[in-house]
Amino acid sequence: MSILDVHTHPLFRDDGRGREGVKSFLASARSQGIDHLVALGDVLAYGRSPNAAQIRKINDDTVWLVKTYPEMVTGFCYLNPTLGERAVWREVERCVELGLRGLKLEIANNARDACMRPVMASAERHDLVVLQHAWSMTKIRQRRYHTDPEDAVLLARRFPNVRVIMAHLTGCGVRGVLAARSCDNLWVDTSGAAPEARLVEYAVEQLGAGRVLYGSDAPIRDFAVAIARITDSGLDAATQRRILRDNACELLRRP
Amino acid sequence: MSAFDANTWIGRWPFAFLTEHSPRTLMAHLRERGIDRAVVSPLDAVFAPEPGAANRALLRSTRLFPELVPVPVINPVLANWRDELEVCTRDQRVRLVRVLPSYHGISLGSRPMAELVLELRQRGVRLAIQVRLIDERHEHHALRIKPVSMRDLSRLLAAHPEGPLLVSGLLRSEVITLAPQHAHLLADLSFAEWHDTVQHLLAKVRLEQLVFASHTPFLVTAAANAKIVSSGLKGSRLASLSHRNLERFLQP
Repeated sequence: MSILDVHTHPLFRDDGRGREGVKSFLASARSQGIDHLVALGDVLAYGRSPNAAQIRKINDDTVWLVKTYPEMVTGFCYLNPTLGERAVWREVERCVELGLRGLKLEIANNARDACMRPVMASAERHDLVVLQHAWSMTKIRQRRYHTDPEDAVLLARRFPNVRVIMAHLTGCGVRGVLAARSCDNLWVDTSGAAPEARLVEYAVEQLGAGRVLYGSDAPIRDFAVAIARITDSGLDAATQRRILRDNACELLRRP
Repeated sequence: MSAFDANTWIGRWPFAFLTEHSPRTLMAHLRERGIDRAVVSPLDAVFAPEPGAANRALLRSTRLFPELVPVPVINPVLANWRDELEVCTRDQRVRLVRVLPSYHGISLGSRPMAELVLELRQRGVRLAIQVRLIDERHEHHALRIKPVSMRDLSRLLAAHPEGPLLVSGLLRSEVITLAPQHAHLLADLSFAEWHDTVQHLLAKVRLEQLVFASHTPFLVTAAANAKIVSSGLKGSRLASLSHRNLERFLQP
């Protein structure tokens, strides 16, 4: 089965691999049947709120990945919405021109904040998918700048013409799945934390097979482990195929 | 691949939609995924006032399943822990006991803990320390449960270098920090993860210090196999990781 991974960070400064390590990272993905992946950038390389130059550097790395491995990699443009409307528009325009196909939001701000308006407006204008980091804030208690599942859902509701991926099913948990239920322009990726049992099945039961996307969060997570969350789920083969590939192809408008 | 699982549980966990396994269903579930043996502890011991009843049920219910090695839970904070250990270890299958410091209020530097380690050594029974049962960020909102402190665990390991000690639930970064410092630490792989988990760990940790573990039913069982199978290990190195390290640990 060929697989599309919607949540990866092929370049990750923490592990010291650099650009030289990308080849082995992609080989590792291929060995697990992943023939295409979404590169989201090394989003925490400069802390949670990088400046414009740091954002450009991260996105330049993603552009390099896309240009070097065009068959294998779709790149998303990483943004810090708190840098303001002009900075957001400038970076989005630059990255779209360079071939990036979506937007990645991390923990510079909460997804419900007003600074998300230009981000979502630019996504709508360029028909870009938005992947929003999300995690349950019940225990973490950083909701001032860290997005809770309900905040990601609110973002998607406010901008119904933008396709939003809420990252980290495992971090969002049952509450996150329930919040996402009535929001048709929101998908959930299966990444996040250790592979907690029965969550993928629950997400499919509540959201339907069409709104769950396979994502690994590699290199933080193991490709083989992330895939086993789907293949050991007890879901039928057609549903597994949709999660592992077809849903993402439709969402990213790939053949 | 013959696999011997260092971390499985039977019984009910009230805070997630997990499968409530009996020894029969657990063994069938593991076999379907290529795991032919496992050590198993009772979830009912986690929140019970004392673990005795859960341990008795574990020992009784696993009798017909020689592939399952029963691992009772001991709480050294309770006044009856020596009696409980005595009762449990009368069963010749008991080669290992598990402690749950975060759930049972056990300080690793406390006198009861030191006494338990000493008593186990005298009896020739091994000890497993469960650092976490689930990701602490996902605990029930009404609970405040933190994983075992790495500093306390490191001190315990340093204070008792005489025999191997199994630690379950360590994250990748914790395995990499602790294992090179403590040669007698055996780390279960259930929570350790990186994009090439096993090779990544083996760059820093001796193979003899790692054991295969699924942490069923909390985590996806086949994910544990996938980590090992995708590691590229072959022959005796694969056998060490999948079952021999745990077999050696459990030998009297």
